[in-house]
Amino acid sequence: MALSPAAGRLSAHEIADEPYYRAVGDEVEIFAASYACRLPVMLKGPTGCGKTRFVEHMAWRLGRPLVTVAAHEDLTAADLAGRFLLAPEGTVWHDGPLTTAVREGAICYLDEIVEARQDTTVVIHPLTDARRALPLEKKGELVAAHPDFQLTISYNPGYQSAVKDLKESTKQRFVAIEFDYPEPSVEAEIVAREAGAEPELARSLVEVGLRSRNLRGRGLAEGASTRMLIHAAKLVGGGAALDAAIRAAIVLPITDEPDMREALGAAIAATLPQALRLQ
Amino acid sequence: MTVEAPARAVRLVGPRAELAGLVGGRADVGPAFLRAIGRLDARWSDEEIEAWAGGALALAHANLGGRCLDTFFRLAGRLPHQSAAALAGDARGAAEIGRRAGAKAALAALEAVPAAALRLPGHRDRACWWAGLARLAREAPDCVVLIAGQTVAALAAADGAAFESFVAAGLKAGGRSRERLRAFFSLEDPAARRMLERAGGAVGFQDLERPLRLFGLALWGSPPRLIALDGVGAAPASQRVSIVGGLIRMPHVYRGAPARETPALYRAALAHAMAHRAFSGDPRAVGRLRPLQIAMTGLVEDARVEALAMRRFPGLRSLWAPWHVARPGDAMTAAMLMARLSRALFDPDYDDPDGFVAKGRDLFSRAADRLEDLTLSRAIGGLLGHDLGQMRLRFDAKSYAVEPLYRDDNMALWDFDEPPDATAEEIEQAVEAARPTPKDSDDGRSEGEPQEQRSGRAREAAPDDRGVAIASYPEWDRAAGVERQGWTTVRDAPAAVGDPRALDEALDRLGGFRERIARLVRGARVGRAPRLKRQPEGFDLDLDAAIDAAIALRTGELPDERIYRASGVRARDVATVVLVDVSESTRERVGASSVLDIEKLAVAALASAMDALGDAFAVRAFASCGREDVRLIRVKDFGDRLDAAAMGRLAGLSSGLSTRLGAALRHAGAELGPIRSQRKLVLALTDGEPSDIDVADPLDLVEDARRATLSLRAQGVDVFGVTLGAAGSYGVFGRANTMPARRLEDLPDRLSELYFRLARL
Ligand SMILES: Nc1ncnc2c1ncn2[C@@H]1O[C@H](COP(=O)(O)OP(=O)(O)OP(=O)(O)O)[C@@H](O)[C@H]1O
Ligand SMILES: [Mg+2]
Repeated sequence: MALSPAAGRLSAHEIADEPYYRAVGDEVEIFAASYACRLPVMLKGPTGCGKTRFVEHMAWRLGRPLVTVAAHEDLTAADLAGRFLLAPEGTVWHDGPLTTAVREGAICYLDEIVEARQDTTVVIHPLTDARRALPLEKKGELVAAHPDFQLTISYNPGYQSAVKDLKESTKQRFVAIEFDYPEPSVEAEIVAREAGAEPELARSLVEVGLRSRNLRGRGLAEGASTRMLIHAAKLVGGGAALDAAIRAAIVLPITDEPDMREALGAAIAATLPQALRLQ
Repeated sequence: MTVEAPARAVRLVGPRAELAGLVGGRADVGPAFLRAIGRLDARWSDEEIEAWAGGALALAHANLGGRCLDTFFRLAGRLPHQSAAALAGDARGAAEIGRRAGAKAALAALEAVPAAALRLPGHRDRACWWAGLARLAREAPDCVVLIAGQTVAALAAADGAAFESFVAAGLKAGGRSRERLRAFFSLEDPAARRMLERAGGAVGFQDLERPLRLFGLALWGSPPRLIALDGVGAAPASQRVSIVGGLIRMPHVYRGAPARETPALYRAALAHAMAHRAFSGDPRAVGRLRPLQIAMTGLVEDARVEALAMRRFPGLRSLWAPWHVARPGDAMTAAMLMARLSRALFDPDYDDPDGFVAKGRDLFSRAADRLEDLTLSRAIGGLLGHDLGQMRLRFDAKSYAVEPLYRDDNMALWDFDEPPDATAEEIEQAVEAARPTPKDSDDGRSEGEPQEQRSGRAREAAPDDRGVAIASYPEWDRAAGVERQGWTTVRDAPAAVGDPRALDEALDRLGGFRERIARLVRGARVGRAPRLKRQPEGFDLDLDAAIDAAIALRTGELPDERIYRASGVRARDVATVVLVDVSESTRERVGASSVLDIEKLAVAALASAMDALGDAFAVRAFASCGREDVRLIRVKDFGDRLDAAAMGRLAGLSSGLSTRLGAALRHAGAELGPIRSQRKLVLALTDGEPSDIDVADPLDLVEDARRATLSLRAQGVDVFGVTLGAAGSYGVFGRANTMPARRLEDLPDRLSELYFRLARL
C-alpha cells in the first residue's frame, strides 16, 4: 500500500513495512470504515492481545503515520498538547505529540488512556466531536485538525476499578472494537509466527495460556497474554527448557502468591505432554 | 497355674518387701502379684524390680480397689518388653488419675495401657500420654473413661506430645459444656478426629484446599466444589474421595502418605474426580448388578474417564502414574488382581502375565476409538466381572476399596434406591454456612463467584436468632502455640432499630462539637489539592519560578528547570471499618449515661465526619457468645450513605454478651480485603480485655486478638484501638496504636481526632 508523501515532522512515525497482524473478526473493516469518516475509535481488551499491533497494521494499511502515547498517572494535558519552554530569547511553545498529530494528519494512538488523570482526558473532547479542533489555551490557539487526523484510544476494562474509569462523556465519543485473546488455533498460529516456533509447541503454549486465563478474576488479575506466550516460545527457541521458559515468561511474572504459583504450575504441568517437557 | 517361688534372695526392706507385705496375702490381688513377681524376677535386676514395685506401691496406696492393682500386675505378663521404669510410670499415672477422677477412670486407663504401649513404647512418650490423661482427670474427670476407651484411634497418628496437646485443645473446645467435652473425648465430634488425624504433622485437606480449588479451576475452567469428608460417628473417615451431587468430598488426611507427596496426591484425586465430572454423565441404575460387577464397571469407568482426560490434558498421566504400584507377585486376591487390571488399563508399558488382566486390557484397547460411549464401562465391566467370578477368588464387597488411592469410591456413578450417605443438599448447606468468604477472596473477589460476594453472604444457611453464619476464622491457641483453623464462626446478626433523633440531639448538646468537626473536615478538604509550586512539569507556568529562571538565563547562570505549577491532586483514599464493642460490660453507667451511650455518640460523630468527607467506611458492632457465635451487626456498609436508617441502627444497639475481639478484627480485615484503597484502617472501640464464656483464661483471647492485629498489619491494614475507661491496656494493639480514653466524656472528640490524624495524607 502506498504511503502519502512524507510529512516532514512525522517521517519517523511512518510505517514502511507491513506489520504482521492476523485478523480475528471484522476489526479491520470496522476500523477502516471508522477512519473513512474520521470517527474516533476505542480498542477494548485485555493486555497483550494485539491492540497495539492492530493499530500499527491499520496505520500502515491506511498509509498514515502513527503517533503513539502511552498514558500514565502523571500524564498531564501539557504532555499531550504542548507547553512553553524557556529559550534564551524568552519562552517558546513546543507542540506535544497530540498537537503534532493533529496538525500533520497522523493517527494518534493513546494507549491505556484511563491511566491518565481525568483533567487530561478532557483535552481530547473537542477533537472527538464535530469540532475536530484542539484548543491550546495557554497559547491562545485553536488548532483545526488535519483532514487525515484520527484518534484511537485503548482501554482495558478488566482491571479498572470503579474510581478509575472513563467518564461517560468520554466513552460515548468513540466507536468501540472489542479485542480478546483469539481462539486457540488462531492464537497458536500467531505465537508460531511471531516466535518462529514449531506448531506443536505453539499449540501447547496456548493451552498453558488458557489454564491461566481460567484464573482471571479469581486470584489472578489477568491471565497470560498472547505476548507472554510469544515470550515463552522465544525462550524455548533460544535454548531454554520448556518448563523453565514457562516459569520465567509466564508463572513468575503473573503472580507472587505461593498458593497460586503452585496451583498454576500444577495445572500447566497437567496440560503439557510429557514428551514436550522432556525435550 | 502354679505360683513360682522367688528364685533369688529377696531384700527385706524396700518397696518390694513393703508391697509383698501389703498385697501378697490378699485373696483378690495376691495371686496376680506373685505371678508378676515371678515373671519379673526372671527378666529384671533387683534394682529394676524395686523400681517397678515402687510404682505399684503408689498405686496400692491410692486405694483404688483390687481391680486396678490386679490389672496392673497382669501388665507384667502382657507387656514383656516394657522397661521397669515405663511400667512404674504407668502405675503412678493410674494412681494420679484415680485420685482425681476415681477408680473407674484409673481402671480404664490401665486397661488402655497395652494399646498405648504398642504405639508409644518409649518411656517419655508414655509419660506425655499419662500427663494428658492426668490433666483431663483434673479438668474433665468424666472424660477419662471415654478417651481411654478410644486409645487405638487416639494414638493412631499422634505421639505423646500430640496427645497432650489434643487434650488441651479438647478442653478448650469444649469449654464449660459437659456435652461438648464428652462428644470431643469420645471422638464423636468430627473436629476431634480431625485433630488426631492431623496430629502426626500430616498435611491435610485444610492446608491444601485453596491451591486445590485453584488447580481445578485452572484446569477445567470452573471451580470445583470441595469439602472435607467426615467419618460418621466414631468411625474413621474414609480414605477415598466421595462425590455427592456436585460436591467433591475429600479425606481430611491421607493417612500414611508422606507429607512431601500429599499435595500431589490430592491433586491426583481432584483431577480424577473432575474427569468423572467431565465424562461420566448421569448416574446409571444399579438394576440387578452384583457387587463385583458394580466394582468392575467402576474400574473400567475410571480407566475410561482418565483416558479421555489425558487426551485433553496429556500431563495428567504423570500426575496419576506414581500411584499405580500393583504388580504381579502380589497375593492372588480379587482385590489385588483388580488393582493390577487398573494399572494395566492405565499404563500401556506395564507388563502383566495374568490372562485375566490381558483380556481386560485387550477389551479396553479395542474400544479406544469409542471411549466417549457411556455404556462402554458397563459392557466391559460386566464381562470382566463375570470372568473374575469364575476364577473363584473371594471378593469381599464390604472391605473393597477402589485402587489406587487417589480414585474416588465410585458411588456417584450409580443411582442407588437409597442415597448411600447424607443427602447432597444437607451437605451443601453446611458448605455454604462454613464457607470462609474472606479467606478465599483474592483481589477483591471471592472464589468462584466474582460478583456475588455480598449477596452470597446471606444465602442458604438457615438463619436462627443468632443470625446467619457468614464466615469462620482461625483462632490462636496460646497453650498449644498453633492456630486452630475454622475455630470461630462469625454471624450476621440482625440490627435493632432505635431512634436516631435522640443521637442527633445528643450530638447537638455536645457544645461546639459539630463546629469542631466541621472545621476538621474543611481542613482535610483543603489539604486535598495543594498547589504545588516549582514543579518540573505542569500545564501552568509558575510565574515566580519562570522569572527566576529567565533571569538566570540572562545572567548566564544555570536556570532551575522547575518552573511549572501543578495541582497535586492526591485523592484521599482511605477505607475504614469501625468496630464497636457492645458486650455486657458496656452497660456500665458513667453518670447519667452508659458506656454504650457514649460509644454511640462517639461513633455518630465520627461517622458524620467521614460521611461529610466522602470517605469509605463501614460500622460494625460486635459481641459473642462462645466461639460458634460471634455476632456482628452491620450498622453501616461500605456502599451505603450514613442515612437515618443507619443512624437508627446505631441508636438501636444494646449491651450484652462477651467480647471475642480477635474474630471481630479478622472479619473487619476480611471486609477491607476487597476494598481498593491506599490506606486501610480498623478502629476498634472496646472497653476492656477480650473475654468469652467458653474461654477460661482471658489471656488466650488477648493473645489471639494481638495476633489478629499483627496479621492484619501484615496485610496492610492498620489497626487502632480506642480503649475506654481506666483499665486500658496496650496488650492487643500495641502502645503506639492504642489510644486510651480515660475520661469517657472525651471520647467523641478523641475518636474523631484520632481518625483525622490517621487519615491525613
Ligand atoms: N492478532 C494478532 N496478530 C499478530 N500478532 C498478534 C496478534 N495478537 C497479538 N499479537 C502479538 O502479541 C503481542 C502483543 O500485542 P500488543 O502489543 O499489540 O498488545 P496490546 O493489546 O497492545 O497490549 P497492551 O494493552 O499491554 O498494550 C504483539 O507484539 C504481537 O506479537
Ligand atoms: Mg472413580
